[in-house]
Amino acid sequence: MKTQKMPRKWLYLLIALIILSPIGILLVWNYGDAWGEWGEVGDWIPKSFWNAPFPDYLSGFESQLAASIGYIISAIIGVVAIILVTYGIGILIANREKKKQSTK
Amino acid sequence: MGGFNLHIPDGYLGPATWIVFYAVMIPIWYLAFKSASHKLGPKSVPLLAFLSALSFMVMMFNLPIPDGTTAHIVGAVIIAVLLGPYAATIGLTIALLIQALLFGDGGITAFAANCFNMGVVMPFVGIFIYTAIRVRMGATTRSRVVASMLAAYFGLVTAATMAGFEFGIQPYIAPGYAPYGLDVAIPAMLLTHLLVGIVEAVATGAVVYYVSEHRPDILGLPKLAPRWMEKMLKEDIPVRELGGEPSGEISADG
Repeated sequence: MKTQKMPRKWLYLLIALIILSPIGILLVWNYGDAWGEWGEVGDWIPKSFWNAPFPDYLSGFESQLAASIGYIISAIIGVVAIILVTYGIGILIANREKKKQSTK
Repeated sequence: MGGFNLHIPDGYLGPATWIVFYAVMIPIWYLAFKSASHKLGPKSVPLLAFLSALSFMVMMFNLPIPDGTTAHIVGAVIIAVLLGPYAATIGLTIALLIQALLFGDGGITAFAANCFNMGVVMPFVGIFIYTAIRVRMGATTRSRVVASMLAAYFGLVTAATMAGFEFGIQPYIAPGYAPYGLDVAIPAMLLTHLLVGIVEAVATGAVVYYVSEHRPDILGLPKLAPRWMEKMLKEDIPVRELGGEPSGEISADG
């Protein structure tokens, strides 16, 4: 059996969440990030070596509108990437099973 | 701005800690993917893709916490209940990988620790609570919703406390990394998530309600879980509550 498509309804829910995602930054606009407050202990700065291509979900703009647009773009990129990776794994598994069965 | 709360960044955990978590996660990843190779069928793949994406999306909704910080929910117990705890391990691993690589949310060194907290502790604590309650309350929607809500609440709280413990021990074992001791880290993570857990419970209960009422066939999909849990999880096969027909006709493999 072929790997099935995702039902429309589920896709619509994901799209709705993507469109609403700026709520996730606008509600907490003047908040420090979860670790920000704690970051002020002495002069300690965590050492990071990874430069992510879309840091902070592209939300690091002064303007709330620009940050919201960046956030929505990030949500689309993330959701598409996750669906592709999961289907990729599913297809790999299905092909392996097929090979197993045909050699039996 | 970023949902760093449960996502431990690079630079917080000393090498001894993050290497231990890679050592712990490698066999778990192996077992989870092995379980997937037997049980992740053509019907389960779209659901796992959807639930992983859903988990990614709910993590983008940073919620304001009265102490001035932010936190988010995870969604791991939804995957554990519908597809089994190993499915949650895989789904969260995929979501956390994309978050770390593309968006810098959660560290690369801390990746295994984050996968352990959100992809192992949370779904496994959740599935134990879920099964314990659901078995006692019967195979009804009410039972599933109540069980999944409590499972989600305590799953999230345990995962958050675990994360707090992991960076909270750093001052004692790895100077130069996270400087907050257990006396700061654990209460901060625990108290925040005692609150956010309510949102996690409501979201989980809503999805489980929808599935139980409108897509009970999903409850019959094979569950990705360790062998010794299979019997325990099998009991959540859809029972035709109205007609009282035997539930066996819904084939597990689709």
